[in-house]
Amino acid sequence: MKKLNFGIISYAHPHAIRYASTIAQSRRAKLHSISGDGANSDVAKGEAKKYGAKFYRNYEDLLKDENVEAVYIAIETYRHKEVAIRAAEEGKHILLEKPIALTLDDADEVIKAAEKNDVKLMLPFNPRFTDPLIKAKEMVEAGEIGALEYIHAISENVKPPIFLQGLNMEWFLDVRKSGGGGFMDTAPHGIDSLLWLTKSLPKRVYADIGAKIYGFPVDDIGTAVLEFKNGIIAVLTAGWGNPKGYSYGLEIKYYLVGREGFLDVRTAYPDFTVYQDRAEKIYWDRPDVRAIVEKFVMAVLKDREVPISGEDAKKNLAIILAAYESSTTGKKVSLSL
Amino acid sequence: MGKLEVGIVGCGNIFNLAHKPALKHMECIKVTACADIDEERAKEGAKFFNARAFQSLDEFFDLDFDVVEILTPTYTHAEIAIKALKAGKHVIVEKPIALTTEEAERMIKTAEKEGLKLFVGHVRRFDKRWVQMKDIIKKRNILPMHIRKTEVQNLPFPAHYWYWDESKSGGVALDLGVHVTDFLRWFFESSPIEVLGVGKAIKEEAKTNNTFDHFIMMIKFEGGKTGIAEVSWAYPYPARYGVFYHHVDVIGKNGRIRYTPLDTPVVGVAKANFEMPRFSPLLSTFPDAFERELRHFFDCIKNDTEPAVTAHDALIALKIAEKAKESARKGEVVRL
Repeated sequence: MKKLNFGIISYAHPHAIRYASTIAQSRRAKLHSISGDGANSDVAKGEAKKYGAKFYRNYEDLLKDENVEAVYIAIETYRHKEVAIRAAEEGKHILLEKPIALTLDDADEVIKAAEKNDVKLMLPFNPRFTDPLIKAKEMVEAGEIGALEYIHAISENVKPPIFLQGLNMEWFLDVRKSGGGGFMDTAPHGIDSLLWLTKSLPKRVYADIGAKIYGFPVDDIGTAVLEFKNGIIAVLTAGWGNPKGYSYGLEIKYYLVGREGFLDVRTAYPDFTVYQDRAEKIYWDRPDVRAIVEKFVMAVLKDREVPISGEDAKKNLAIILAAYESSTTGKKVSLSL
Repeated sequence: MGKLEVGIVGCGNIFNLAHKPALKHMECIKVTACADIDEERAKEGAKFFNARAFQSLDEFFDLDFDVVEILTPTYTHAEIAIKALKAGKHVIVEKPIALTTEEAERMIKTAEKEGLKLFVGHVRRFDKRWVQMKDIIKKRNILPMHIRKTEVQNLPFPAHYWYWDESKSGGVALDLGVHVTDFLRWFFESSPIEVLGVGKAIKEEAKTNNTFDHFIMMIKFEGGKTGIAEVSWAYPYPARYGVFYHHVDVIGKNGRIRYTPLDTPVVGVAKANFEMPRFSPLLSTFPDAFERELRHFFDCIKNDTEPAVTAHDALIALKIAEKAKESARKGEVVRL
């Protein structure tokens, strides 16, 4: 079977490391090349060597490589628009790290560029590709807990990215580059999962987001109350609220309350525990990243719909931005999605 | 001072489940009178304590005792408490302090005027889980900034029961709400600024009574602290067991503390139908919490000292819950 030639643009976002290894292991994709734009250029170069991929100092050269068919863009958020549009213009299919862009207008431009150049555009939101949540959705839809009424979700709560060793994550603390702090970084995952689980859209959002824990110049934790069109209420906490000693690398939890039962989703990934100075959970599989890469690759190779489109990501961003607005004004914000 | 003489008003659920067993072995007091509008209940309670039974409150208050425990439905608290205070008795009243803050303020004023004690049974403050947790927060300097507290159950009472009547209980937002609003204020040691409330009617009992049985509050406290309260009577636990659960998640500048029911070693029972583990016959707390609470209040009366949780604390807990209900009704944030 034909393999899709993948390029990775930038290691600014730490997810690039996981995507590189997943692409490299895929039976249907080849990690063809890596560009070292933005932060962590040295890491990008080292990774190219490790995977036997071509290394380009900047993404323009990578995009000019005719053998590259698709790109995963992990550059700083404020450069998403610029790079994604250029990738579309060069006819590359795009897997774009979240959030799609800093503003809804920028998101529109990215979406239009992909449409105009007839390339696939997909955003990677992880929770809906995790096994426990897939099972939970199946059970909800099979009516096992009756009508869904309420969801409490922590999705995702992580340690601040600047704690990651060997990577420069300073740009996450610069709102002009990241668009926001912990809530902007992780809440899009939770929002996507809520839209997917409820099969609805929120009509109102109220949120409290702030620099509460670490004293960073950007927010580190936020909680949003979402009132969905179909009557479901959801409370979502997301951000960088976990201490260094938290045993999980990242926290995904859902409480799904139906009229006749509830589902308690306690973690997303299969793990084992290492005990030393502290307990540490090691994930021995990340089926979500694998599924995202496989679905994107198959969408390109078979010319199918991607599971999460640019429009989906734009709605997601609209909800996130509404949450920030609510947190600033102290009022509920109405959405017309 | 010899033994405090105690009169009980209301010999129903909370009396039988919590106060009766707590008072039973207390050597510092003697229960001398039990009143209830139901003659049988009054007699049963009185028999247990070898006390006198009353149906009439006037006759009950004519009796010479030191302190009255008010264990009646919420909507009757203010009237009975004020009557008791005017009759010269100290008052211990179950939570919520009253149905409205206006009533609660009148109770507090009356107690001040009469120079008598008024205590409110915010039993969470005497529950060893939360006492220990608060202690750890202080000792380890956790500095909480975000606290989520959940108190949920499947209310096992039928639709005609007073709990479902909002004009009698205040609904779940008040009845369980005051526990959580007080808890958040206690843990944050900070004042509430504004609250958003969102409610749902999930069970038929709530729908027919036009009340909420599932309620969320997001409360902003001074210092950028966020409290999230979730209270519910609609959790689909097997109603037969009436299980009641707490979840706590404290995220602070220097760490995090989580509590879920399953973090505690319990005996889970797996049968043909899964049975949720439970901690105590009281469901919501431990029997000794009530005993600790009542001993503390009696000590405060004997020694004329301030209690760990004051009527004013109870008033603020009620005010937050009341404003959260207002917020849910209006669909907007309400300032405190």
